[in-house]
Amino acid sequence: MSENALNELIEAARLDPDHVFSAPWEARAFAIALQLSESGYFTWDAFRDRLIAEVRASDRIRARDGTSAHGEYYDHFLHALEKLLEEKGLAHS
Amino acid sequence: MSDHHNTDDSGPAARVKALEALLTEKGLLDPAAIDAIVDTYETRVGPRNGARVVAKAWTDPAYRKRLLADATSAVAELGFAGPQGGHLVAIENTDRIHNLVVCTLCSCYPWPVLGLPPVWYKSFAYRSRAVSDPRGVLEDFGLELPSNVEIRVWDSSAEIRYLVIPQRPKGTSKMSEDELAAIVTRDSMVGVAKVEAPRA
Repeated sequence: MSENALNELIEAARLDPDHVFSAPWEARAFAIALQLSESGYFTWDAFRDRLIAEVRASDRIRARDGTSAHGEYYDHFLHALEKLLEEKGLAHS
Repeated sequence: MSDHHNTDDSGPAARVKALEALLTEKGLLDPAAIDAIVDTYETRVGPRNGARVVAKAWTDPAYRKRLLADATSAVAELGFAGPQGGHLVAIENTDRIHNLVVCTLCSCYPWPVLGLPPVWYKSFAYRSRAVSDPRGVLEDFGLELPSNVEIRVWDSSAEIRYLVIPQRPKGTSKMSEDELAAIVTRDSMVGVAKVEAPRA
């Protein structure tokens, strides 16, 4: 993490305050997770537990070596979703 | 929107597309509902709701009292409810206390009143420093508080979400509730900014 990592994000938010998704796939991934939980395939809490696990693992690496090469928030989000669907047996065609 | 690093088949964009196709084929997902959710969270749910809550609290003492006692019910009075909206707690800034909200674990945030969290809120930099160095974080946001102001940091969780009620700026006594709502920012309701009075 660079010294001014937060400053860069703050500046980006100033330029575009309503920006919550960085790419269309992030919005789709979010909506898929929300719809599946609202349909009762899993609870949002169950999903969030996986998300927290992904974020924690990433934080540990980042605290150690300072890199973000292993992904940002929605990468963790997508991993968490894929793992949960795998566990629930919903990800097989 | 940039999508530059996601063009290959193993990238997240392709994985999400494949996932959506598979789940739709299995009848688990309705693509139209996905579109609707995206639209809702990109354009409809957002900090304007929270701004209305704050403006009402500033202008209606009885409402402020209800908001501080039970924020979930008080925001529901204004029609704001939905996923991640339960267990809401309103915390009030004063001359001596400034409140700052973080979710150190991931991204807990009160969606019905603030929408989805901004990128910086979910970042390692913010999550790791908001607790250890809140004053430094506020300075990064351009907010320097007098040293006699106590900064209280609130860590959101699945159980509790927080809404900061910022201080009403001086020189706004003639403004209507609607006018006040227009000056309340998302950042002020997370606690990384103050609300500024409009320049005369």
